Amino acid sequence: MSEVAMLQLIGLGVVGTGVAILLFIQSRFPRVIGFVMIVLGLFSLVALSVPQMASLPPVEEKFDVASIKTANDMAVIGQKIFFSKGQCALCHSIGPSEAARCPDLKGIGAKLSREFMYESLTQPQAYIYLDYRHEGVPKEYPARMPYINKNPIGLTKNEILSVIAFLQQMSGEPITVSPSEIEVPGGAPAVVPAAPAVPGKTPVTDKAKQKNMKADAGLVAMVHGQ
Amino acid sequence: MRHDRLSGEQGSRRGWWMLSIAGLALLAGALGFPVAGWAEEAAPQAATAYRDLPQLGGSRNIVWVVAQLHLLLAGFVLGVPIFAWLCEVVGWKTGEKRYDKLAKEFTKLLTSSYATTALFGGILLFLLIGFYPKLMAYLSDIFFPSFVVYCLLFLLETATLYLYWYGWDVMQDGGKKTFHIFLGFLLNVFAFFIMVVPNSWATFQASPVVISEGTDLQRAWAATWNPTWWPVNIHRLIANVVLGGYICGAYAGVRYLSAKTPEEREHYDWMGYVGNFIGVFGLLPLPFAGYWLMREVYQYNQQMGITLMGGFLSWLFILQAMLIGVLFLGSNYYFWLGITHRIPGSEQQYKKPIMAMLVILLLCLGVWMTPHSLVASLEEARKLGGTHHPLLGAFGVMSAKMTVANLMILVTFMSFIMYWRAGKEETATWAKMAKSVMSGVLVVAALVVIVLGVWGYFVPAIVRINYFSVAQVLIVLFVMVTITPLTALLLKSAKTTTEMIWGRMPPRAGYALVLNAIMVILLMTLMGYARSSSRVHWHIYGVMRDSSPYAYSPALGYAAAFMSLNTFAFCMLVAFIFWVATMGDKAKAGGGH
Repeated sequence: MSEVAMLQLIGLGVVGTGVAILLFIQSRFPRVIGFVMIVLGLFSLVALSVPQMASLPPVEEKFDVASIKTANDMAVIGQKIFFSKGQCALCHSIGPSEAARCPDLKGIGAKLSREFMYESLTQPQAYIYLDYRHEGVPKEYPARMPYINKNPIGLTKNEILSVIAFLQQMSGEPITVSPSEIEVPGGAPAVVPAAPAVPGKTPVTDKAKQKNMKADAGLVAMVHGQ
Repeated sequence: MRHDRLSGEQGSRRGWWMLSIAGLALLAGALGFPVAGWAEEAAPQAATAYRDLPQLGGSRNIVWVVAQLHLLLAGFVLGVPIFAWLCEVVGWKTGEKRYDKLAKEFTKLLTSSYATTALFGGILLFLLIGFYPKLMAYLSDIFFPSFVVYCLLFLLETATLYLYWYGWDVMQDGGKKTFHIFLGFLLNVFAFFIMVVPNSWATFQASPVVISEGTDLQRAWAATWNPTWWPVNIHRLIANVVLGGYICGAYAGVRYLSAKTPEEREHYDWMGYVGNFIGVFGLLPLPFAGYWLMREVYQYNQQMGITLMGGFLSWLFILQAMLIGVLFLGSNYYFWLGITHRIPGSEQQYKKPIMAMLVILLLCLGVWMTPHSLVASLEEARKLGGTHHPLLGAFGVMSAKMTVANLMILVTFMSFIMYWRAGKEETATWAKMAKSVMSGVLVVAALVVIVLGVWGYFVPAIVRINYFSVAQVLIVLFVMVTITPLTALLLKSAKTTTEMIWGRMPPRAGYALVLNAIMVILLMTLMGYARSSSRVHWHIYGVMRDSSPYAYSPALGYAAAFMSLNTFAFCMLVAFIFWVATMGDKAKAGGGH
């Protein structure tokens, strides 16, 4: 007997019991219970008569180092991480969005070097990107960028490099991250990107001054970290 | 293959559960068993993510029952103080002692209800820590400061409740009564925050924000202010008022059915009226709060919104429409019974308007329950020209549903106004003009709601959602805030032509009250399932994946069996609480005789 048929049988039994109580018992309280049983049984039967669809979880994605052969493979994995474990899409949009609580990442791979992106993910307070979408003084975005390599998100170096590959690919840029940088468990450690050096930009120490600094078109405005 | 294996496992678990579905008693007893049955024994050094009790139907099902009962009881103990306090204020302002008596009668329930709610809360907490240690560790790490606040609020709430309840008879006159009313207000303020704090934990699971570095307090605060927190707070607050009102109505209905003396019948008939009135009072704005919540869900994550409204949960909203429809019909039916039985001579006068209202309600319900797309075979779909019915398909979209929901609210509101005015004759000189204004407002509002609904088909969805639907809601609210004070002013100087006679309602009125309460409870269980299932296979949406064997959402039929079980168990618990709380009164009454 299928699960639905079994539940239908139980539902019918509940309704039948309720009807029997109403027919044969005169005492008020049991009659109310009988009435409640009829209502609940009918509700279950109606719910069993609509299409029965369960929602099964998708197969969990694993970061399989062995499957990575090209930079594109990394970008594919990076995209998955971007929308799942990395939680990037909780705040960032790809393209303009009023609801976004953080900078729009469309074309970010073309604007920033991979080293700067790596630093933004692992030392997010080093430079703070301000919100210039509105008139007046630029404001900080509502959400504060977390350390992506620490808990609770805790992406590994391999995963961070993959996300960078995705951001570059999504921006139409050549992917500068190479599969050879991937750390193989038990193997030689990959080269970690060096300390950030943003071309043409020097971190400024005066925070108040920085707040008034407007980004050049298409570039990033930065405030030296606290 | 994986699906087959999963289905097989699920099937055996479900089969087992269905055999044990008969009772919470079994669960309660088995919780006392030694932990010999833990299914998953982790290596000592590895952190355990999940534990299970498959012998009792699995951890998810056990948590489902206990959490649902705890939440329903919590809704009850938060709704009853609002209800009691409102009644006390009415009694205080009007000088009608029966309102004060009613408020006291319900406050008495609170002490035992609090204990039962806390008991289920405690069981739930232990179960969650035991079954989901990884998730609970994660949430505790973020929300620990709010745990402390929660405990403090409980201390304050308990102390205030003691003062409020035990001080009732002592604080009856003058300034003391004012202070007592203030205590009742304070009780509700603390109760509100007791609801708000755990809401932040639950809403964070559904709409998490990224937690960055900072102090414990900063992190907890950031997680608390997640996008669906306030919509859920407001929705639950109103829903608790509705629950409190309808439970009071159901209690009155049961007592009315078993009343032996005319005095008892009068008292419980009146109590049923008050309960139904407060329930309807809360019910009218509730769909607006629900609409706001769904809007926020869509804004937060469109995919989650689609899962709810257009994905595997879409049929759930047809069931929701059915339950809300029955609730509206039940509430109106009770009003109509009141007009025809409590106010002699009104039956003929109101027969036609009642019939018109019934027809409108049924038509609206029909539209609301029309599914967006039909499940059809390929052949059937070809004949239909798609999965949308060529004629009825037009009623399956949001524009139609928003329109009929607003019209049903308008009809219910007018039922109440009709009941209010029945048996009275306006004497004010401006009465005729006022009635014309009210009729005009009502007719124009209904027409505008319909026009906006039809127009909604021809504009982009964003325009409909942001402007048309909001305008419809505001128009209905405008009707309420215009007609209610006008009617009150009009009736202030009105002459009573027919005295209302309490205790003459037929038995079916008592059953209607019980039906309304069951509908509200079922709705709460249904929407709880919807909220939980909208997270699909995530404990915390997009952040912490559910990797247990229960990381699936069961189909509606299976879920409905649980909802029914939980509703029945909750009703029995509440009946028990009422019985225990009134035991002393019955003994006193028996002694007195």
